[in-house]
Amino acid sequence: MIDLSSWLWPGAGLGLLTELQQVWWYFTLSLWCVAGIFSLSFMAQSAHKGRYWLFFSLSFAGNMLLIGALDAISFYIGFSIMSLSAYGLVVDSGSKAARRAGRLYLQLAILGELLLFAALILRASAAGGQYDWQSWQQVPLDHLTILLTILGLGLKAGFWPLHIWLPQAHPAAPAPASAVLSGAMIKAGILGLIVFLPSGDPQLQHWIPYMVTLGFISAVFGVLASLLYRQPKVILAYSSVSQVGYIVVLVALAWTADAVAVLPVLIAYAAHHAFAKGALFLYAGINAKQRLPDYWQLLYWGPALALMAVPLSGGAAIKTGLKSLLSSDVVPGWLNGEVLTSLLSLGAILTALLFLHLAVALQRQQREYQHTADPGLALYWQGACLVLLLLILIWLPWYWQPMLQLSQHTLAWSKIWGLSWPLLAAVGIFMLGRWQQWRLPARYYDRNSPVLAWSLRLKRLYQPQRQWQAPVFKFNWRGIERACNRTATGSVVGSSALVVLVLLVLITFWQYFA
Amino acid sequence: MSAFWLTYLPVAIILSSLLPGLIIFTLKEQQVKLRISLNLLGVTVKLVLVLIMWQAVKAGDIFYFSLPFLPGADLVLQGDALSLLFVVLSSVLWLATTVYAIGYLENSPLRSRFFGYFSLCVSATVGLALSGNLVSFLLFYELLTLATFPLVVHRGTPQSLAAGRRYLAYTLSGGVLLLTGIALLHSVVQSPQFIPGGYVSAAVSEHAGLLTLAFALMIGGLGVKAALLPLHGWLPQAMVAPAPVSALLHAVAVVKAGAFGIIRLVYDVFGVDGMQQLQLAQPLMLLAAATILFGSWRALAQQDIKRRLAYSTISQVSYITVGVAMLGPLAAVGGLVHLVHQGVMKITLFFCAGNYAETLGVHKIRELNGAGRRMPLTSAAFTLAALGMIGIPPTAGFISKWYLGLGAVATDNSLMLMVFVLSGLLNAGYFLPIVYRLWFLPQRGSWPKEQRLSATLETHWMLLLPMLFTAVLIILMGLFASTGVSPLSWAQLIVEREFSYD
Repeated sequence: MIDLSSWLWPGAGLGLLTELQQVWWYFTLSLWCVAGIFSLSFMAQSAHKGRYWLFFSLSFAGNMLLIGALDAISFYIGFSIMSLSAYGLVVDSGSKAARRAGRLYLQLAILGELLLFAALILRASAAGGQYDWQSWQQVPLDHLTILLTILGLGLKAGFWPLHIWLPQAHPAAPAPASAVLSGAMIKAGILGLIVFLPSGDPQLQHWIPYMVTLGFISAVFGVLASLLYRQPKVILAYSSVSQVGYIVVLVALAWTADAVAVLPVLIAYAAHHAFAKGALFLYAGINAKQRLPDYWQLLYWGPALALMAVPLSGGAAIKTGLKSLLSSDVVPGWLNGEVLTSLLSLGAILTALLFLHLAVALQRQQREYQHTADPGLALYWQGACLVLLLLILIWLPWYWQPMLQLSQHTLAWSKIWGLSWPLLAAVGIFMLGRWQQWRLPARYYDRNSPVLAWSLRLKRLYQPQRQWQAPVFKFNWRGIERACNRTATGSVVGSSALVVLVLLVLITFWQYFA
Repeated sequence: MSAFWLTYLPVAIILSSLLPGLIIFTLKEQQVKLRISLNLLGVTVKLVLVLIMWQAVKAGDIFYFSLPFLPGADLVLQGDALSLLFVVLSSVLWLATTVYAIGYLENSPLRSRFFGYFSLCVSATVGLALSGNLVSFLLFYELLTLATFPLVVHRGTPQSLAAGRRYLAYTLSGGVLLLTGIALLHSVVQSPQFIPGGYVSAAVSEHAGLLTLAFALMIGGLGVKAALLPLHGWLPQAMVAPAPVSALLHAVAVVKAGAFGIIRLVYDVFGVDGMQQLQLAQPLMLLAAATILFGSWRALAQQDIKRRLAYSTISQVSYITVGVAMLGPLAAVGGLVHLVHQGVMKITLFFCAGNYAETLGVHKIRELNGAGRRMPLTSAAFTLAALGMIGIPPTAGFISKWYLGLGAVATDNSLMLMVFVLSGLLNAGYFLPIVYRLWFLPQRGSWPKEQRLSATLETHWMLLLPMLFTAVLIILMGLFASTGVSPLSWAQLIVEREFSYD
């Protein structure tokens, strides 16, 4: 731990004290490094390379700072640096769509930032001028602070209904940037929700059932929305909305008094999702650029199957962990454990559907290229990054202690069946849908989101061309003066002097006798 | 420190800029080197003297100098922690502005007149900061008005003459209001020295109405310079003046003089108790909050860089007033430290605006597209200062907003916290589009009136150096706010002394 309190502000410090911070640090660091290595070759032909690397490293630094922060202000500094510089990554291509997405992103980032600022002020006041996490753990919360924190950090985490920037920004950014946006940066919001709101706080308990509900809505909504889009990166963005929904459920469960059981699952979920989603975004980036040899599809199916929770994968381990948490008797508030577990099964079907849909979308993109290009060094370099992520995904559930325990629970036949039937059902539904050609009318597909119109309207609001002007009252004395002058014809100087003289004399007399 | 210095150091600090200024008036236009040396000599001497005074005040010494002036009101100069805050700010920024002005006005006519009034202006500001009672404050306050007028109209164009007339009309009527208020107060409680906790409390029960009236009159007078809501009209017009003058108006002297006067009035004349008994704080706070939002809102629609910055000043200076009017120690720290932070950030912005105008001939915001490539250092400084204005950490602006926010919560003014958040959003709304144009949009055609002022650098080094200096200060003051030399620690010292009078 690096203690900076004598230099900066009371409680300032950097360090990885808890397991939460350590795991978060390592998976974020690895993802950023892989994305960086990937960018070396992927962004080699980019027009604004210098700008890309500047914003890439700034947001990298911000992201690492906020994880290593031991106090709220350091966190907030890292958070701001990361949020604002990620704007440069979103608008990197400079296309119209990217600029629109960037505008929406920045508007919401600033809004989130200021909401979080208000929350921090309220919290720091309640804590009596202490800023470090340890002292904040003991300070009770109030509803306004909770609301502001959830809104401020939720805008970064991107669960429904605060997700609106995600499907716009992720497709606009270059592939490695979307990978870190989705894999690492939205996790920063999640990390904040855990460290800012101490578990077991009595006021916070009221929020847990609602947040669990919100998480499930987000999980279902993300998938349903993704089915209406055909662009692979939009589908992936909605997949993030859906996956973050599950993470939000876990965060809400971690707010209960017994966070000890929940945190390992939460950490595993976040790390696993980071690698898998990072790999998928990188794959989507390669896929959009050239026709790939067929066997490269393995690089898609690896992370996709992991997220679909195929038995023996990391996804299977964490889904089982989540299920056992929800099926235990201690489901908070008015929630019903059985409904939740059946919702989880529904969620598994939906997730599988999403990735099958995505596979079709990727294939459609591939068909635009006629010839399979000879994979050059650049492509192998990029492929190697993907293989690296894939190896991590395979390695995680069996060699990493927290996940190993979860994985071992999935080895029973009943569990394997429990994991498999939603997948089989999803494949069945998908096949049926293809065969019967279930389709909505064409106008429902690939719609422009209304949020862009809102963002434009907001922009017009803060960049008005004209504004209400205060009416200017001009009062001209000259006319009145002339009118007065006209009443006094002839020479007025003499008579005026006489009047003044008489007045002076009168005043003198009055003063004298009074 | 010897008794001699304790008496005469305040006078020496004023004279260190007054004397060079008076000599500069007599110089010929061609005596460039002599003029520059005199200017820089004055700046250096002043900085050294201020440094000495700063150390002494920190150690607890009190400076006091008085001359018989009016019956019951001497001409008093005193150096306490609060006056030092303003003295240090204006001296350091005077250094930056002088260097900048030398570069900016290179080869332009009437420089002796300009630099003469420039020095006079700073002498008046420092005198105002050091004045020990209301009557001496008024004297320097009016002197400042008169010394600034020639600077505002320096260009002599019809536009600047109109702005000058407007400036004079506003500030002189403000001066009359202030004079009336001070006279009224003098008739009730005399004009003793400024003292933490104020000196009107004894008369509150007897003369509540008169005191309220005097307060309103004086706020009216100070509010003109501090650009409080209905009295702000002169400031956006005065932006036709050259960039160093704008920097002086907005960051070093004029606007700050108004804000500083309000601080003195609230803490050292009426005192926290007096303000509470007379219930004057709430209206002042609401007025300032309205000004914050109004200024930001008006800034959104301005298409001229300096005009937008001017409306931004209207909004930002009222943060100081809000901080003071909340009457809590934390809020006071926020307000006082914002006096310094706002000054440094705004002067950076005006330096940048001046650089764009001088180097590229750009005055309108829409002409700024792609300027980041042509002038990276200036644009980086602009970006930094703009982020500071919004309150993004780790800049100085964040520190003041943080303390203002803490103060708002500590004094149960959650409404003010909302005002700060809203104003932050509006600030982002009018600053970030500029930053976006600088860095992300391609240049549109050629620059309106480009000049090559340097062979290697993007512009003249004298225009660049002061701007970089203040830009670095923004980061340092934000990051090292808790160290002993930061404005924040000084503001805390002042508040400790102001709030521990009983």
